[in-house]
Amino acid sequence: MNQSFADKTFVFNEHINTQYIIDLYSGDYGMIEETFADVLNEYASLLENINAAYQVEDIGALKKAIHKIKPLFGFTGFTSIQSQCLQFENACEATPSFHLLVNEFTLLQNSLIQTRSIIEEEKERLALFNSR
Amino acid sequence: MNLSCIIVEDLQVATNYLIKCCEKSKLVEVKGHFTNVPDALSFVNENTVDLIFLDVEMPGPNGFELLDQIAFLPKIILTTSKKEYAYDAFEYKVTDFLKKPFSYERFLEAMQKVQAAPGVAPGAAGGDTETSSDHIYIKSEGKLVRLSNDSILFMESMGDYVKFVTADKKYITHNTIKNLEDKVNKQHFLKVHRSYIVNLHKIDDLRENCLFIKGAEIPVSKAFKSIVISRLNII
Repeated sequence: MNQSFADKTFVFNEHINTQYIIDLYSGDYGMIEETFADVLNEYASLLENINAAYQVEDIGALKKAIHKIKPLFGFTGFTSIQSQCLQFENACEATPSFHLLVNEFTLLQNSLIQTRSIIEEEKERLALFNSR
Repeated sequence: MNLSCIIVEDLQVATNYLIKCCEKSKLVEVKGHFTNVPDALSFVNENTVDLIFLDVEMPGPNGFELLDQIAFLPKIILTTSKKEYAYDAFEYKVTDFLKKPFSYERFLEAMQKVQAAPGVAPGAAGGDTETSSDHIYIKSEGKLVRLSNDSILFMESMGDYVKFVTADKKYITHNTIKNLEDKVNKQHFLKVHRSYIVNLHKIDDLRENCLFIKGAEIPVSKAFKSIVISRLNII
């Protein structure tokens, strides 16, 4: 874990809420890198749970699985994805039919897949940045 | 490093983040981390810690159920992603409530609250004269009422109030079970649940998860059951 680097500035991907993440970790880029790695370690299994719940059209399990993955986006500064998850959780709560969730789920699923790629890239860039 | 803690959290990222915060602060040593309540309960029933970082929603029993069953009460910091639990957190008198993800600065604030909070002496017998008295005075209906220990059947939590139940009357007073636990005569009274203290001499029968006093069913937390049994005159 490194101390914050007053003389070093990392430019995060545009989808990441930079101010939020700097505040969250007090500018400790080492801690950010470690947490991004932790997030990636859990990402696949949490995504699998989501897909499994969707396949069997279990709204309760789907809502729970989305709720479970949501904090990962808080830890990585994807505050808009966090909101998207919350919105979908609310939709699960309100919908009278599973099929009405399909379009919103497809959008969310694409966001989740895209976000994982960004986290992977950012983790690599952070590793490089921290090793300098 | 002057405090010890455990982390009860089912999300590994959140656990790792908390461990990093603890290590970075050098204020608290992590003695263990658990992904469910039963494992955490087994640990804290065998080991004493100063602090528990406790998630609420986990597979199986939730975090509040741990608080219901724990035999002593260390300081608690609830860590959850739902603000909705703030009211329950208040009811359980937790030291702080951290909404995930929380910043390192916010973590340090919580640690300051833990350090400033009055110390808890787990299992302390209590030595003040009140605990050996044969009676207590309670404030009820604008006056001080004297109740002999022998007249009290049990005490029941009602939020910020406690109901004292005797054979012929009920008294409601502004107090908490947690506060009374240290003040009542321990020869007579025993906490059997977060919300109940009973007069040991009045128990009619004890069953799996409850006991009966004059027809009233009183829940017994798992963690307290063995203590209740050990205090009864079983031949």
